[in-house]
Amino acid sequence: MNRNRGIIAGLAVLVVLAFGPWIGGIVHIDTSFLSEVLLTAIAAMGVNILLGYTGLPIFGNAALFGLGAYGAGLSIKNLHVGFVVAILLGIAAALVGALIIAPFLLRRRNIYFGLLSLAFGQVFYFIAYRYSDVTGGEDGMSFARPPIALGPLHGAVDETGMYYITYALFAIAIVSFWLIVRSPFGKTLVAIKQNELRVRYLGLNADRFILVGILIAAVYAGLAGALYGLLLRFAFPLLLDWHESGDFILMTMLGGAGTIFGPLVGAIIFVIGKDIISTITPAWEIFLGGFFIACVLGFPKGILGSIGDALARGRVTAEPAEELVPAVAIDQARATIQSDSVQ
Amino acid sequence: MSDALLIADAVSKKFGGVQAVDRVSIEVGRGSIHAVIGPNGAGKTTFFNTLSGFFFPDSGTVRFDGADITNEPNWRRIGRGMSRTFQTPSIFPDLSVHQNLLIGTQAKRGVAFRLTLPNAKQRDEIEARVDELLGFVGLAAAKSRTVSELSHGSQRLVEIAMSLSTDPKLVLLDEPMAGLAEAETDRVISVIRDLHDRLGLTVLFVEHNMRVVLSLAHRITVLDRGRLLAEGSPAEIAADVAVRDAYLGKEVIEHV
Amino acid sequence: MLEHLAPQIVNGLMLGAFYASIAIGLSLIMNLTGVINMAHGSFLTLGGYFAFMLAAIGAPFAVVLIAAPILTALVGLAIERGLMRPLYGRDPLYSLLLTFGLSLIAEEVYRLIWGSNGVPVSAPASLQGGVSFGAFQVPTIQLFTAAVLVIAMSALWLFLNRTRFGLRLRAAVQDTEMIAALGTNTQVLYMVNFCLGVLLAGLAGVLAATQLGLNPTSGNALLMPAFVTVIVGGMGSLLGAIAGGLLIGMTISLMTLFFPAASDVSMYIIMAVILLIRPRGLFGEEGLFG
Repeated sequence: MNRNRGIIAGLAVLVVLAFGPWIGGIVHIDTSFLSEVLLTAIAAMGVNILLGYTGLPIFGNAALFGLGAYGAGLSIKNLHVGFVVAILLGIAAALVGALIIAPFLLRRRNIYFGLLSLAFGQVFYFIAYRYSDVTGGEDGMSFARPPIALGPLHGAVDETGMYYITYALFAIAIVSFWLIVRSPFGKTLVAIKQNELRVRYLGLNADRFILVGILIAAVYAGLAGALYGLLLRFAFPLLLDWHESGDFILMTMLGGAGTIFGPLVGAIIFVIGKDIISTITPAWEIFLGGFFIACVLGFPKGILGSIGDALARGRVTAEPAEELVPAVAIDQARATIQSDSVQ
Repeated sequence: MSDALLIADAVSKKFGGVQAVDRVSIEVGRGSIHAVIGPNGAGKTTFFNTLSGFFFPDSGTVRFDGADITNEPNWRRIGRGMSRTFQTPSIFPDLSVHQNLLIGTQAKRGVAFRLTLPNAKQRDEIEARVDELLGFVGLAAAKSRTVSELSHGSQRLVEIAMSLSTDPKLVLLDEPMAGLAEAETDRVISVIRDLHDRLGLTVLFVEHNMRVVLSLAHRITVLDRGRLLAEGSPAEIAADVAVRDAYLGKEVIEHV
Repeated sequence: MLEHLAPQIVNGLMLGAFYASIAIGLSLIMNLTGVINMAHGSFLTLGGYFAFMLAAIGAPFAVVLIAAPILTALVGLAIERGLMRPLYGRDPLYSLLLTFGLSLIAEEVYRLIWGSNGVPVSAPASLQGGVSFGAFQVPTIQLFTAAVLVIAMSALWLFLNRTRFGLRLRAAVQDTEMIAALGTNTQVLYMVNFCLGVLLAGLAGVLAATQLGLNPTSGNALLMPAFVTVIVGGMGSLLGAIAGGLLIGMTISLMTLFFPAASDVSMYIIMAVILLIRPRGLFGEEGLFG
């Protein structure tokens, strides 16, 4: 019952989003801005699978995101690929990055995992910063947005087109996310978050599951990064910086880590909120920081998480009285012990 | 002896400056209930940990069902037929009893590492197995309860059921009675006995409660300060003076 | 050759002293509470700004060197009691995110008060200039910095190993529950521990401001090498922080001489190599933090 309600709500959200540009026109929000919200949500899904479901604080998500943007950009600039291939190569770049750092990350958990992912993320940041011949360095790298050639879709991609491509990929991303978390694989990730030792003592190689989790996060982050690069026609090193990673973690927590639509809710609030506040005051980072703190102190489960909790409490279940120690069994046990007792 | 399911030979483990386990050997006979006892600090749990792969020994070997598993990762040992419970029940606290058992059952059938759901036939078989495990420990009524809400004794039973979900040959139980109330203790004792009597499993357990040990075990290994002190049948151990000394201290004996 | 190499080695030692003392502060906090203090860089910067303010009202350098870290530690005290204490029972990730939020706020506040461009903090004239060692010259300020930091780290060592309070602190890292059961006030322990870490950061911040400049983000620039130092030296080990600091400081300094383009990446390469050979770091303890 609850599952069906969730599916209907999710479909409703997707339907509403399909009318994005039209709604945006009414409330005076740029279509490209809406695209940014959706692709940010995709990146946050990468954080969610590791942080929300597996319990691993990934601080290098921005590096994978940035690799996606640079992967797309470099392939357009140097290999003159089309729209679709640019996205695929962006994802590939993020996967390669993840495969390089995964062996180091897999040996650790908890805070140390976070610290290592932060440090390795910075390696990629410095590479993007330093190797300016290739990446354009601090000033970033601009590139064209190639036309798309995929079946019936042909031609240049304008902002509305960009939105619908992003929307389609978001829909695929969220459905695949849902499928992953309800699969045995996803359930095992949740078990790892609960008690990794017990998962191992049930015969499962937890490292293998975590590795795939990291790769899934890389696919989401790389896809989002590639879309971002294509949206802006630009990639720059700060995309890979750990502050960006912190933003992704905040919006995941804000929306509700461990929920399916949490990243979207968090992305909406974060991206739109940041934009609104920064037009009011240049000191918007104080609000961002304050938000972080307020969320952590008062709101750790985030919006959807807290709603989920409230709904669970509201549900009254009649529990049958459990007979865990049936009287007959006790007597039998006692008798056995007495008869076996040593002389 | 090929009759022995688990053989540890001169296993040693040192932590910092402390020799926690010092050349301890054990042979657990197939289909027996074997207990490991000893006063506090004797190294029982450390020894257990080397047997189950929680960590690896500094020296010595561990053989299970004929194979050398001394340095094998713990999750592989489960595949060979070993399983284990911990002093504090190691379960998935926020999940339901049903979900707790599902993980191991799915793992055993090789469907854990899949993104696709098992087909209807597999699902039915898995659910049937989960129900069977629940029935064995008498927790069928608690199937949809969250494990953290259960009593300590029930959590222990869930853990034992989980350790059975991987179809083990040998079950290692680390102080299964720890923290249990009287009534719960009797229930767990009968379940442990059933592991052997009804399921034909080999059981190796660590325990403090001498009454329980003497009534359940076929064979007893006694450790003291990391060393093997004595080994034998319950009658032999109960009569062993060195064992009494280790537990009670020489002064008390002299005053008796 | 020696004229070029020697100054870089001294520079490396000084940088090493910086990274070591910042890393020790981070480690102190991490070991006891599991919290990675992402605001540690902000405390470094704060120490620098306090020094700037004190110098502006005419305080002599000796006073600045003592007062600025203390003021920084007081701010740290307020933050620990007000914001971090409620989070101690929970997953340390929350505290990490809290300190991350603090670092964002701090950077912006510094910008509002003192501007983006940075302010000068200068060492007194007596520390300008250099000391001759035969063929080459070493800036006095570098020697002074290294000396002060070494003294501070030694004082910390004495405190941790030769006082009763230090003993309780070290015991609490091993087993906080036990120490609380034995009657120690763990709140005070946590508070002092955090303030010690921040005190070191403030001191390093003052010294860094005199040589590396001071702007709202200057502390953060030192934070990353400090993180790498903690990883390389090994989580849970203060000795590791010192060894790691020296290694990283020397690496960066010598790389600047031989391979300037690779100097910032070089510390990560060292980190990766050490993690491959010895995953727990040089002096790290096995199994700590997973």
